[in-house]
Amino acid sequence: MKREIGILVLVFIFVFSTAFVSAETNATVCCEKTKSGLYCQNVAEDQCATSNSAPTACESTSYCRPGVCYNSNEGTCLDNTPEVVCNNNNGIWSKDQPAACDLGCCILGDQAAFVSLTRCKYLSSTLGLNTNYNKNIKDEVSCVLSVSNQDKGACVFDYEFQRTCKFTTREQCKIGFNNTGVAGQFFKDKLCSAPELETNCAPSKKTSCAPGKDEVYFVDTCGNIANIYDASKINDQEYWSNLKTKDESCNPNSPNANSKACGNCNYLGGSYCRPSDETEANYGDYICQDLNCKDTQNGNDYKHGESWCVYNDEGENDVGSNAVGSQFFKHICVNGEEILETCADFRQQECVEDKIEYTGGTFSQAACRVNRWQDCTAQDNQRDCENEDRRDCLWEGSMQNINGTKGTCIPKNSPGLKFWQGEEAKDVCGQANYQCVVTFEKGLTGGEKCVKNCECLSSEWRKSRIAFCEALGDCGAKVNWIGAEGYKQGYNFTIGKK
Amino acid sequence: MNSNNYKYKKLENRMNKRAQVAIFVIIALAIVAIFVLIIFLRDGGITNNTSEGLSPQRYLSDCISPSLRENMEIILKQGGYSNVEGFLEYNGDKYKYLCYTNENYIPCIVQQPLLKEQFEKELNSLLRAKSGECVNSLKEEYESRGYDVNMNGINTEFLIVPEGIKYSVNGELSAKKGDETSVFNGFDVEIESQVYDLILTGISIIDFESTYGDSETTLYMQYYPDLKIEKIRLSEGSKIYRVTNVITNETLSFATRSLVFPPGYGLE
Repeated sequence: MKREIGILVLVFIFVFSTAFVSAETNATVCCEKTKSGLYCQNVAEDQCATSNSAPTACESTSYCRPGVCYNSNEGTCLDNTPEVVCNNNNGIWSKDQPAACDLGCCILGDQAAFVSLTRCKYLSSTLGLNTNYNKNIKDEVSCVLSVSNQDKGACVFDYEFQRTCKFTTREQCKIGFNNTGVAGQFFKDKLCSAPELETNCAPSKKTSCAPGKDEVYFVDTCGNIANIYDASKINDQEYWSNLKTKDESCNPNSPNANSKACGNCNYLGGSYCRPSDETEANYGDYICQDLNCKDTQNGNDYKHGESWCVYNDEGENDVGSNAVGSQFFKHICVNGEEILETCADFRQQECVEDKIEYTGGTFSQAACRVNRWQDCTAQDNQRDCENEDRRDCLWEGSMQNINGTKGTCIPKNSPGLKFWQGEEAKDVCGQANYQCVVTFEKGLTGGEKCVKNCECLSSEWRKSRIAFCEALGDCGAKVNWIGAEGYKQGYNFTIGKK
Repeated sequence: MNSNNYKYKKLENRMNKRAQVAIFVIIALAIVAIFVLIIFLRDGGITNNTSEGLSPQRYLSDCISPSLRENMEIILKQGGYSNVEGFLEYNGDKYKYLCYTNENYIPCIVQQPLLKEQFEKELNSLLRAKSGECVNSLKEEYESRGYDVNMNGINTEFLIVPEGIKYSVNGELSAKKGDETSVFNGFDVEIESQVYDLILTGISIIDFESTYGDSETTLYMQYYPDLKIEKIRLSEGSKIYRVTNVITNETLSFATRSLVFPPGYGLE
């Protein structure tokens, strides 16, 4: 007959030091302006700088309700702007988006912008062009495409008793320049410096960058953009007469970075027209500058615009054992310079990275995004746990969950906690507290035999509980981001007997 | 042939020739007048560049540019404000919150929707005295060259436009020396700057922050090769943005606090 002679109570208690901070809760009001100079904040009444405050949320007040602020000078609209802030700055506020904010396609020579009509008028006037606006184009892609296949060429017209020329589109030539309304004569694929046009524009040795273009261009004596800079063609009459495509220009398959003789830059290949600095071009003051980053912090080379994730603090990411104070970083290659962006502190954001494959190699893209760890421990099956559409969790089949059964869901990247203040860290880490009741039977001839929950006595079980504790956040026996250990053990196992 | 008739015809021919010459002279004068008028209108109302090569545009541009750049740098650093309130202090610098919420989990509230106009307001206020000084100094320069100068209703204004800062001098200024007269009926001085693009990028970032709670800086840098955007996140949820034009090295700095996820479950 079996007789229960004793119960060994094994209690796993996580000990965590916390400072108690009492927070006095004040009723919040919507302040038009706070003492620190910020508008429309829900704060305690004594924080208000103006008498305009109401014991309700700012969205419900007449002065701070959010809406659209329209800038009639620039033709721009900004959402989520409080009425008082917009009006104080001479904007035009409305609850819903006004018709003036509706977007359409603004044609600006051989370029296009998807903007409001007022903005189109403003941009056209600054560029000395007549307004060409199409409100029937409803998206940006169609807008950009609408100008990509336009005929370009020399537009010849008389100005101040001279036969002159402007290199532009057929459409713009028809409309005229500087609101004169005087149309020119259009010559498709001809350059203004073509001798047969008999204008006052001639070849020159000057070069320039062109708006929205990657390459270095020759410029004629009238200031018109000609063909792509090619030092060998400086005196070539044909090259100064007819428009050449990128493929017909010098070294079309190379980015021509730092080339003195060829200005056929390729932005996707990592070169772009810039004023010459160290390397001087054979003619003119511009060159294809190399924008790519060589030998970055992780030893790799990256192209301009590429971004990648870096996690080089102590501990490991994506396996639920991040070090205290560790953080994700996103590195970006910009103009030959490696810059870094920190993802949110306390690992509330993690860095995600992917690569786009293309014929010339790969292009890396990274982003900091919210770490969705909050409901990991509430998942009781692997499918829900590893549902990446909903959460960032990891299923550990051999680890016990908070109820002591096998298989648990833990955060892929354990969150950081403010363990030095407040009670919350204690609550989060406290999920790892567990009481395991181990049952022993005393034999008739003496001695004891474990009959229930015997695994709780093993060192593996202990290790598993410690790992679970550490996965919940900045809990347990962790090291910090530089590898230094804490001053306390971080957990406690207590054994009792009933 | 009657000699009287011959004389009369000769006289008539001579008279016709004189009339023709007079007409040609009148036409020539009219052409010259039109030409002068075109030049007058094209040059913003300046009839004479004065002797000794004094260009008022260049003079005013040289006079105002150093102060303009100095003050612009200060207000660019503080998000468009010289006396900034509602700011974040970081490493001894003040960063104006252009979008802010003191709460967690919600996007920020826009604090300055008309940023370009704010910059212009600050510039006009900061440079009013210097601008007056420059106009007076131009007057003194003319006087030192022996001109009688008359100023009428002169006022100046700074406008931020694409590719530059426009310094508009409005009103009438005339300088007279003997028969030589120079008349100014207002003109613009354009100072090269890329601040307009920086401000518009700043507004776009604020738009994203107030709508989605964050902005993707890499895309801006891919689309606009001359831009460099640095984003520094601080532990209490604020972000510092530094938007730089890599060609001109002008930098717009400001702060936001939006869609903050506090540590833990955010229950405290």
